[in-house]
Amino acid sequence: MARRYDSRTTIFSPEGRLYQVEYALEAISHAGTALGILATDGIVLAAERKVTSKLLEQDTSAEKLYILNDNMICAVAGWTADANILVNYARTQAQRYLLTYNTDIPCEQLVRRLCDLKQGYTQHGGLRPFGVSFIYAGWDNQRQFQLYQSNPSGNYGGWKATSVGANNASAQSLLKQDYNEECNLKQACELAVKVLSKTMDSTKLSAEKIEFATVGRTAKGTIYHHLWGADEIEALLKEHGLGKQPEAEDSRA
Amino acid sequence: MSSPFAINGGACVAMVGKDCVAIACDLRLGLQALTVSNDFPKIFPFGSSTYLGLTGLATDVATVSELFRFKVNMYRLREERDIGPQTFANLVSSSLYERRFGPWFVSPVVAGINEKTGKPFICGFDSIGCIDFAKDFIVSGTASDQLFGTCEGLWEPDLEPEDLFETISQALLNAVDRDALSGWGAHVYIIEKDKVTKRLLKGRQD
Amino acid sequence: MEVLLGITGKDYCIIAASKAAMRGATILKASDDKTRSLNKNTLMAYSGEAGDTVNFAEYIQANIQLYSMRNASDLSPYEVSSFVRSELAKALRSRNPYNVNLLLGGFDSIKEKPELYWIDYLASSAKVPYAAHGYAQYYCLSLLDKHHHPDIDFEQGMKILRMCTDELKRRLPIDFKGVVVKVIDKDGVRELEYIDDKQILAP
Repeated sequence: MARRYDSRTTIFSPEGRLYQVEYALEAISHAGTALGILATDGIVLAAERKVTSKLLEQDTSAEKLYILNDNMICAVAGWTADANILVNYARTQAQRYLLTYNTDIPCEQLVRRLCDLKQGYTQHGGLRPFGVSFIYAGWDNQRQFQLYQSNPSGNYGGWKATSVGANNASAQSLLKQDYNEECNLKQACELAVKVLSKTMDSTKLSAEKIEFATVGRTAKGTIYHHLWGADEIEALLKEHGLGKQPEAEDSRA
Repeated sequence: MSSPFAINGGACVAMVGKDCVAIACDLRLGLQALTVSNDFPKIFPFGSSTYLGLTGLATDVATVSELFRFKVNMYRLREERDIGPQTFANLVSSSLYERRFGPWFVSPVVAGINEKTGKPFICGFDSIGCIDFAKDFIVSGTASDQLFGTCEGLWEPDLEPEDLFETISQALLNAVDRDALSGWGAHVYIIEKDKVTKRLLKGRQD
Repeated sequence: MEVLLGITGKDYCIIAASKAAMRGATILKASDDKTRSLNKNTLMAYSGEAGDTVNFAEYIQANIQLYSMRNASDLSPYEVSSFVRSELAKALRSRNPYNVNLLLGGFDSIKEKPELYWIDYLASSAKVPYAAHGYAQYYCLSLLDKHHHPDIDFEQGMKILRMCTDELKRRLPIDFKGVVVKVIDKDGVRELEYIDDKQILAP
């Protein structure tokens, strides 16, 4: 019976649900976890990269964290192919805004433009909604550092700390427990790895398995965003005693 | 009415040195003989060591520089690296030729250092994108005739960064002093492998 | 013989625009207001071809106000100037370009600085401390060059404006019927009473 309301995104079920949108959300809940934490002097985004095979090339660019603009980055959870379309759309919109107003697009406006597109796909246009949730981290001079989250339905909201993807319920409760509004970027990074270490399936974290990015302010006061290299992630893990021990690697081999 | 290239006035010059390049422009914005602003730079950065100088119609200087900012930002996000001067020169050329039958009234100059080879690169364009590669210097703007003279007289091969700065500055300042439509101060960029120095020259204020 | 003048000072921007609406050699109206306020802290003065001016100004005004409504925040003067320039530049290379010259005065509430933009019908735009359009440029810019400083107070600014309007009255062959004067500062846009019934004769 439910089938009758499944085939199109444009049709509500008798209970008032849009199944395709819910299925998209379900798809995302199987994707690698991504989380974002707002600090007083910056924002950290972290994501779990699912390593499917040893044979997979690992040195390619980030697959879950993207730069959208000079003042904004995002983490994705869900279908990477769908995300690429949306990321490209966001980048184009951001540049278009820059072309007309000569200033970077305010964070919420960019999020809203993306969500308007996502909403469109729950009503008309394509056959299915986009299978991705985003966490956005950005800065603008009106509202300073900001963290947003959006999902396939086109809904979005601002957060202090949030997560999407697999185990996001437990990640969310860990964040709720340990988040401190007065934390700085360094403490936020610490919280991020701690949460990831508890929610990820693999026993030991390593630079191949996670991606990290920060938005912050330089000593001169300019805003920067930075996608972390493997060595920086490794150093962070080591600092918090979460890195893999060399002997553990040996015993497994 | 006079040529659209000469309504607002302005001058730009680029030069090659030893493992460095320089690019400089004046700061005047005018309406025929009347000066409207003396803070209108005509050089725009596109990445760590690629610079574009634009002279000609002021509205197109602004439009074209904004257009290339759009294109180069998208390039950087897609490729995850800065654009090189050669690649950028080809982008400029093809973008200008898109408007073959209704051109932007600008005379661009590109200067930079190739990130991979470390070799200096300069080139100029006509308003529809024909590239003029040069080993020595490129001039553009309403003072281009005068710039040809000063550059021809002052430039020599393999100048060190500091000498190149002196040469390009003297070439520009003395050229614009003989042109009624350009001058009012200058911006000079000296681009080395991993260092860019920007200097502001006061120049004659009349 | 339309007059547009703009002067910035320490914490304000003064915009003056002639009150005469002319058609050929005929004055149709002596109380024309050639300004539109775009949002809380920007004012645009315009001159040029009769139909184009108001049409363009209202188009811009509508779009800037729409932005404020959609985003619950005002564009800064610089952002407004960029938007205006891009619209004018777009029209310039279309089948029906606008023939309008603009002065855009504003107060940036984040930087807490007044700003003035000079934009002509070709969409050339420049941020300037003082500006004029039309014949006023030839009479007033030299006066402003001599007397203007970036940090002059409001009284000083009005004194310089008086010198400018007096000079225009003295030298322009056609009466421009005085000027509308508006000020933009941290409190927004307001109109000033500007008495200029005094006759000024050329020597």
